[in-house]
Amino acid sequence: MKIKNILIIGSLSFLLLLGCTNIDEHVYDKYSADEFYGSAEGADVALASVYAQIGGNWGGVGYAGADNGWYDMNAMCADEQVIPHRNTGDWQLDFARLYKHEWLPTDYIIGNTWNWLYKSIYNANLAVDQLVSSNAEVSKIAEAKVLRAFFYYLLMDDYGNVPFYTENNITVDKIPQANRAEIYQFVLSELTENVENLSASKGGNYYGRFNKWAGYTLLAKVYLNAEVYTGTAKWQEALEACNKVSEGGFSLHSGAVDANNPLGYKYYELFGDVLPEDETILAMFASANVVSRNIFTVRSLNGPHAQELFGFSGWNGTIVPSDFFLKYDDNDIRKKQFLIGEQPGGTTYTLEVSSLDNPGAAPQAGVRNMKFYPVTPMDGGGASNDFPIYRYADVLLMKAECNVRLNKAGDAKPFLDEVRQRAGLDRLAGNPTLNDIYNERGFELNWEGHRRQDMIRFDKFLLPNNFRGNSENYRKLFPIPTSALDANPGLVQNPGY
Amino acid sequence: MNIKFKNNGLRYSLFKTHFKMKHLLLIILVLILNVQNNLYANSSSNELTISINNKDQEKTINGIVTDENGLPLPGASIIEKGTLNGVVTDFNGNFSIKVANQNAIIEISFIGYKTQLVKASVASFKIQLLPDTTTLDEIVLIGYGSANRKDVTGSVVSISEKNMNEGAVTSPLQLISGKAAGVNITQTGSEPGSSPSVRIRGISSLIGGNDPLVVVDGIQGNMDLLNQIPPSEIISIDILKDASATAVYGSRGAPGVIIVSTKKNKVGRSTVEYIASSAIDFIPKKLDMLNANQWWEQAQLVGVPASANHGSNTDWYNILTRSGLTQNHTLAFGGGTDKFSYRASISAILQDGVVINSNNKKYIGRIQATQSALDDKLKLTFNLNSGITETKSSVQSIGRAAFTSNLISNAYVMRPTDPVFNSDGSYYTDPNVFQYLNPYAVSQTVTNEGQYDNLFGSLKADLELTKGLTVGWFGSWRKTNNTNGFYLPAVSTSSYAIDQNGYANINTNKQNEKLTNVSLTYKEIFGDHSINALVLYEWQNQTYQGNYAQARGFLNDIATYNALQLGDLSKVVPGDLSSYKNDRTLVSFLGRVNYSFLNKYLVTASLRRDGSSVFGANNKWGSFPSASVAWQIDQEPFMKNQKIFNHLKLRGGYGETGNQQGLYPQNSISLVGGAGVTYFGGSQITNFNVTQNANEDLRWETKKQTNVGVDFALLDNKLKGSIDVYTSTTDDLLFDYTVPQPPFPYGTIKANVGSILNEGIEIGLGYDLIKSDNTTLTLAGNVSFIRNEVLNLSGSINGVPLNTDYVSWGPNSYLIEGQPIGTFNILHHTGKDGVNSETVLDVDDNGIIDQGNESPDRLINGSALPTYTFAFNPTFQHKNLDVSMLWRGSGGNKIYNSIRSTLSYLENIGKSNVLESAVPLGLFNSKYGSDLWLEDGSFIRLENVTVGYNFNLENVKYIESVRLSFTGNNLLLITDYSGIDPELNLSGGNGFGGDNGIYPRTRSFSLGLNVKFK
Repeated sequence: MKIKNILIIGSLSFLLLLGCTNIDEHVYDKYSADEFYGSAEGADVALASVYAQIGGNWGGVGYAGADNGWYDMNAMCADEQVIPHRNTGDWQLDFARLYKHEWLPTDYIIGNTWNWLYKSIYNANLAVDQLVSSNAEVSKIAEAKVLRAFFYYLLMDDYGNVPFYTENNITVDKIPQANRAEIYQFVLSELTENVENLSASKGGNYYGRFNKWAGYTLLAKVYLNAEVYTGTAKWQEALEACNKVSEGGFSLHSGAVDANNPLGYKYYELFGDVLPEDETILAMFASANVVSRNIFTVRSLNGPHAQELFGFSGWNGTIVPSDFFLKYDDNDIRKKQFLIGEQPGGTTYTLEVSSLDNPGAAPQAGVRNMKFYPVTPMDGGGASNDFPIYRYADVLLMKAECNVRLNKAGDAKPFLDEVRQRAGLDRLAGNPTLNDIYNERGFELNWEGHRRQDMIRFDKFLLPNNFRGNSENYRKLFPIPTSALDANPGLVQNPGY
Repeated sequence: MNIKFKNNGLRYSLFKTHFKMKHLLLIILVLILNVQNNLYANSSSNELTISINNKDQEKTINGIVTDENGLPLPGASIIEKGTLNGVVTDFNGNFSIKVANQNAIIEISFIGYKTQLVKASVASFKIQLLPDTTTLDEIVLIGYGSANRKDVTGSVVSISEKNMNEGAVTSPLQLISGKAAGVNITQTGSEPGSSPSVRIRGISSLIGGNDPLVVVDGIQGNMDLLNQIPPSEIISIDILKDASATAVYGSRGAPGVIIVSTKKNKVGRSTVEYIASSAIDFIPKKLDMLNANQWWEQAQLVGVPASANHGSNTDWYNILTRSGLTQNHTLAFGGGTDKFSYRASISAILQDGVVINSNNKKYIGRIQATQSALDDKLKLTFNLNSGITETKSSVQSIGRAAFTSNLISNAYVMRPTDPVFNSDGSYYTDPNVFQYLNPYAVSQTVTNEGQYDNLFGSLKADLELTKGLTVGWFGSWRKTNNTNGFYLPAVSTSSYAIDQNGYANINTNKQNEKLTNVSLTYKEIFGDHSINALVLYEWQNQTYQGNYAQARGFLNDIATYNALQLGDLSKVVPGDLSSYKNDRTLVSFLGRVNYSFLNKYLVTASLRRDGSSVFGANNKWGSFPSASVAWQIDQEPFMKNQKIFNHLKLRGGYGETGNQQGLYPQNSISLVGGAGVTYFGGSQITNFNVTQNANEDLRWETKKQTNVGVDFALLDNKLKGSIDVYTSTTDDLLFDYTVPQPPFPYGTIKANVGSILNEGIEIGLGYDLIKSDNTTLTLAGNVSFIRNEVLNLSGSINGVPLNTDYVSWGPNSYLIEGQPIGTFNILHHTGKDGVNSETVLDVDDNGIIDQGNESPDRLINGSALPTYTFAFNPTFQHKNLDVSMLWRGSGGNKIYNSIRSTLSYLENIGKSNVLESAVPLGLFNSKYGSDLWLEDGSFIRLENVTVGYNFNLENVKYIESVRLSFTGNNLLLITDYSGIDPELNLSGGNGFGGDNGIYPRTRSFSLGLNVKFK
């Protein structure tokens, strides 16, 4: 009897415990995606997170400011800057390969930029979706759509035919590789439908955001390069978009002498801490180590030189090729951004770089650049200069270009002269040629991420330079990165790669 | 009743028969034990002939059994041979047994001792049992229970205390290094407090975890649980290798299981024991770098300006290293009665590393108590273990932009002409070298310390409900609290610290692990049938919690990391503050049956069903079955007349196990987390992001293993061994599979797609070359061969194709379908060009050297995984002297010697030192990582030589015995590898197979003392 009781009690308690089979997952330190984005605040946050994609940071995640991303890929394959391998063993060869037009589909920067762009589009899709479903203001929905168009424009500009999708909940087999013209059409229609709905406000809440004027600048850029993308030029449409931008009341920032500016001119405020509202159309905000960063000066300067100037060591990286530097007029205030010869800290920069890769450049060879003269907070990992994505000088030069291309060189001249005069140069003697405009764009917009696109549009991209002969036509497009091809065998590589 | 009983490395449970005895706990005998004792120990039995009393009359024999020290041996079994008649010795070693007649033979046995056969001739005698150092261990732990070795149907290795490695042991794994085939224990460097890694039967998972489950006295945990146990308090380690054995641990069993048993007090005995060892550690090998003169001579040849020569003559490696010291002390004591016993111990493991300012101090206190009640039907076992570890480490990852490694490896890149100090006494730096780092300054000024507190306790209660039926309850709670503090001041010369004017952080991580199970065990013998059945319910929960804080910009370095608020709080940036909490729950049901017929035919079958919170909503539950059989061939009638085999058993089994511990909570769901700060709406706001690609189908990976083995003893028991052959396939392989971007926001998704194959053969042998009463010489060894292959990495989930292949898995090593994990796929060195830049083979001859993962210019060239491991372990004993030796090695693998390439390019010489071998090589630079740096990783190491002497001190007051031993560790290394040690990270995880500089592996000489007091 006693044993029986024990048995019964034992079995019962055993069965009781068997009931405890709860294995639900508990989440303590994150939010569930559906609940989070479903709210109105969540929709706003979704829009903010698209902008977070623009801010540059380590690992190539951003538009500009840090390294190994979109900026380096588009800047180093042009004529304005490169990081040579040093004969003391410093610096990898990726940048030299870009400059020499020897990049490979497996190169890190190429895959990194692709992934950044598609992550951005994912965030933009999410933002559009959440804003629409939460019935947000029209201007916010338009903003998210224009942002998405911006990233598709960058993708198409670099890679040509790319996968296209606007809904995140989709499988890869439903995502076609659209051709460049189709993406162009999508970008165009998204912009024409939405730009007018964007806010016309400048600065304040809209600093660093796509307002109407930034939207039209983007539209102008798309039209400006339409011939490259589709074979059909759209100069008139580009000009009209530029004129729309002018309605925003922009003007060139002063080029006056300013003893307080480390580079001597007010002009350089355009690349400083808070970018002036008169000229800046779209800025990328940076505050080092918090939001984005700007490494361009510290990356260029030699260690002890930067140490002497700013109190932290420079990376001795980026140089300006001598042929690019030598084109500047000595009276050009924009030439002040370059450094050559003896410097504080026992550094002497020399004009020529003898080798980009093997055996590499001598440690102090090459002209350096401090267009983005570091502003605080800063440290050896970069400074807090904001980055001008679009500014009015660019729009003026686009206007000039459109006019020349529309055979109205006389109409173009004032725009070009305005930019030249601000830089301390004389007016052009005669009417501008395309070459004048091409060169002026180089002088004015160097290190701002436009050069590759300009060189391709002006047919200069394939011309030989000091480190290579003629490049091949297929280099006008970057290859689809190998990692993307491997993951999605449905993709077709660009010709030549 | 089920009694767990400990002695000399062995633990066993016996079936019961009741004897009422005055002083002692009751011990039960079974036929099985009887048979087994015959099997293993006959040859060494001493037969005493005793005069005949009266032929056909029942006879009572009274005697006393003592151990090797002449002390009474309670609990020894006395059996009348060929019958079920038996008793056990009492508390004082006395016994009394009635036998059929004076011709009866009495067998006296005790686990771990040589069995003696005595003819029932004299009325009273004293029998001294001697330890048997050569028997195969007889009782093995099989998870949630134990079994006699001969009843084991799976592949299980037991290593008892007497077979463990001696010397300056700081981690339990060092005790069993080289002792078991297929159990590869790898020590990378000798950083104080670092533990070896262990891989059982290779690498069967990519991200699911390859660390075995650790079970210490029933408490389950990850590898860190092992570090909570003082090695000196371990009495045995059992390793479950094949899936038929590990399947009882279901979803945690796939990487194998290590079961640790700690010492318990012998029933009825008082013990006071002091165990100590002290070792001096040396660095046996350094890389040969250029000295100051050689450096300057070479530097000039490549045009290094005189300004780079700072005129000193500094041996950087030397000033950063010293002789190390390792000490172990354990004081243990215990006592008890027949109902109650306890053991308590306090241990200290103190290490001063060979790199300056690195040390580790570990203190562990334990207490264990057992109590019987309810007329011995209830048995309670209580364990409490608490430890504190304090560590000062050299910095693990630091350096210039061009070279990041651990602190000591930074000594290599230092130019020998650089001074340590400036003339004003400050630490020297060179502004012309980007991010110059003075490693001596780092070692002197950085604070990098950790405190690791841990506590675990358990209670086990077994209640015998009725004959053969026991209900058991077990509960354990384990807590760890790990705090690390780090302060890098600007004076350290680290450029980052200079930029920030010093920075400090504190990192706290807590674990809280709870486990409870309830079991019913039924054991019974019905004639020729014997059955042992178990059903069990188990619930476990592990909670992880922690926080991190960092501050920068300190006015001075006085408070180091102890007062973060003294930093410049205006400089707080995203990432300086963080915290987390997550948990996981595992619920399990287990059933197991062991059935034996005629003691010849053995069957074990088990089924475990596990449910885990970490898996996707669609796949929370999994089942893990196993079945195995064994055949005791030597018990068959046809084996009766043969003389070759003393023992022969054939085993075979199949099991399925899972893997989940490497998978973190919250991997399956779509979540939003903080992602730094963004600028929006005119201000800086917290940014949020989807944190991962969600996968609701995430589930276990399943390892299916088949094992066939044979255990044998032959040539008069002189040659013993076992051979196992196995094949295992891990299906539904957990991995971060490549997904297309778009549409996924991240390039990989955790999913179950691929599979990995491991197959191998393991041989363990021991041969008694000399075996006499006073002298034994045993040659033991083991060897295992393993073949690994990544079968498949691609497939699809929910219609999304996953095309994963050529995944980078280490420096120039990859996961490639059809190849082993960590296969080197590497450019082939051909020479150098006119400017002494390296040239490599353009395999596809297209003029482009493609360095992509799948480049046709890469060639497959071996793997980072060893294909064989072996150990040779001769032991010699003569009277009180014993000598043992352990040679151990592995091979078939390659190592990518990254640090050799870094230290070989002459273009670096202006800023760094280079190897002596760089001069004849004459390579200026290279664009590639080629097979020039790929080296054979095979080695043979003389890991341990121990000479010990046991002083017999019967007549000394207070002292029972003293053992003195002398051990040399890592005395000799035979290898072609040019780095400092080929034993590198072989964990199989991402990043293995390369050598980027390791903490030195030491050679040590230690003196050990073990005193037992009366």
